[in-house]
Amino acid sequence: MSHLVLEGISIHYDGQPTPAVERVSIDVAKGDFVVLVGRSGCGKTSLLNVAAGLVAPARGSATINGKPITAPGSDRAVVFQNDALFPWLTARENVAFALRLRGVRPAERARRADELLDLVKLADAGDKRIWELSGGMRQRVGLARALAAEPEFLLLDEPLGALDALTRERMQTTLLDLWAASDVGVLMVTHGIEEALVLATRIVVLAPGPGRVVQTFEPGFSRRYAAGEAIRSIKADPAFAAARGELTDAIFEGEAA
Amino acid sequence: MTISSYTERPGHKVDEADGLSVPWSRPSPKRKGVSARMVSAVTILVVLAVWALSARLQLVSPVFLPSPAAVWNKFIVVARDGFVDATLLQHAVASLARVFAALIAAILIGVPVGLAIGISTVGRGIFDPLLEFLRPIPPLAYLPLVIIWFGIGEPSKILVIAIAMLAPVALSTASGVRGVSQERINAARSLGATRAQVVRHVILPSALPSILTGLRIALGAGWSTLVAAELVAATRGLGFMIQSAAQFLVTDVVVMGILVIAAIAFVLEFTIRRIERVLVPWAGKE
Repeated sequence: MSHLVLEGISIHYDGQPTPAVERVSIDVAKGDFVVLVGRSGCGKTSLLNVAAGLVAPARGSATINGKPITAPGSDRAVVFQNDALFPWLTARENVAFALRLRGVRPAERARRADELLDLVKLADAGDKRIWELSGGMRQRVGLARALAAEPEFLLLDEPLGALDALTRERMQTTLLDLWAASDVGVLMVTHGIEEALVLATRIVVLAPGPGRVVQTFEPGFSRRYAAGEAIRSIKADPAFAAARGELTDAIFEGEAA
Repeated sequence: MTISSYTERPGHKVDEADGLSVPWSRPSPKRKGVSARMVSAVTILVVLAVWALSARLQLVSPVFLPSPAAVWNKFIVVARDGFVDATLLQHAVASLARVFAALIAAILIGVPVGLAIGISTVGRGIFDPLLEFLRPIPPLAYLPLVIIWFGIGEPSKILVIAIAMLAPVALSTASGVRGVSQERINAARSLGATRAQVVRHVILPSALPSILTGLRIALGAGWSTLVAAELVAATRGLGFMIQSAAQFLVTDVVVMGILVIAAIAFVLEFTIRRIERVLVPWAGKE
């Protein structure tokens, strides 16, 4: 059973008097969709970077399947807010990047990349250059590129943050489809309250100064989507509105009005 | 599912990614009336006219200032019959060969040095002061030392030009490497790239636009040290041709040589810009 575990994590940045994050524990199992939300400065991206192996915690342990995380690895592919795609490569070559690093033969990696592009509904965009793609399409390529590494966990750092509302909503269902069709565990950072409710199996609410967990929710709407319910009907459910109110309260709790 | 019916428009990343599309944020380079190009053309014509007029009126002795027509005639004559035992083409080829040999040397040394400066603190500590020392020294100053060390042969000439090219290549590479977005590097590492793979597959291609700019600047710098490089014991080359002509006060050849050097520099610059557009079409589009 694969497990991504952050335990008692504290993060200090050089030259800052208070820790960015203090004693936070997060546990992501295979098939989980864990979403971190919270006001600016609560350290949610820092925590994601610890899981990615890009930031070393001052205290606490970060492990994947029991092994300590010391560096980035393709078992935990990251998708960033600014897609971080490679403009000198086509969309297909971007998706195949992880395979190229592993020395997979060109024909095989092109075939695999096309499968993944198909999966993120960009079947025709393989030969396009990155700058010819819209923001939403670029994030789809970024997602396909991360999936090509066949990660056990996907780490998503506000991947939909730069998109307009309509594209964002479509991307949410794409994310859910991908997640439901695989057994990958997801750890995602977002600013969107509704986004968190739609996507998460578990929401971890963080508060700033220093970053700490204030509340955890298990909304269960994404399981309903995976079971076949339409996203419109989920959002129309009074329970959804109630959960949104609760989550909003939790995020802004303790903030000086 | 709604996704399949939803089509995103390629090439329209402005209104989606940045949230707005503001036509007035991109001022059109064309203004009504005069264009910069026209003004440049008129300027060149005026300079030519003043030159022709002052030569015609003999304001200055033709020994000092030959007329444009005399220079043009000389161009034809030297191109056909040659000057100091070589045709104009042979002089130009000799000079170009030196400059390109120097360019290759400058790339082979400058790009790795620039990478080292950009990637590692130790690399920066070693090479930064050396380059900063080398950069402001005029070629004529180190020419004697190069000759003492390496003799008066072809290697010395190439070396003088290469030294002038080294700093632009290395510093542009370094600034390109430092400018690589951390997110891009992180993305590659999280996809399983080793350090060496990050350098080869992310840092070098990311820095390519900057490296090419460095090559363009280096070619300009190298070309402008040509005369210094061909000062001693050359038998061919545009710089040598100018100096020989100056010794015999053949001013029309001197002026013609200067114009040929300028014209070739212009063509080189233009060519590299073309190459840039082909090699790094993404530059400025991110």
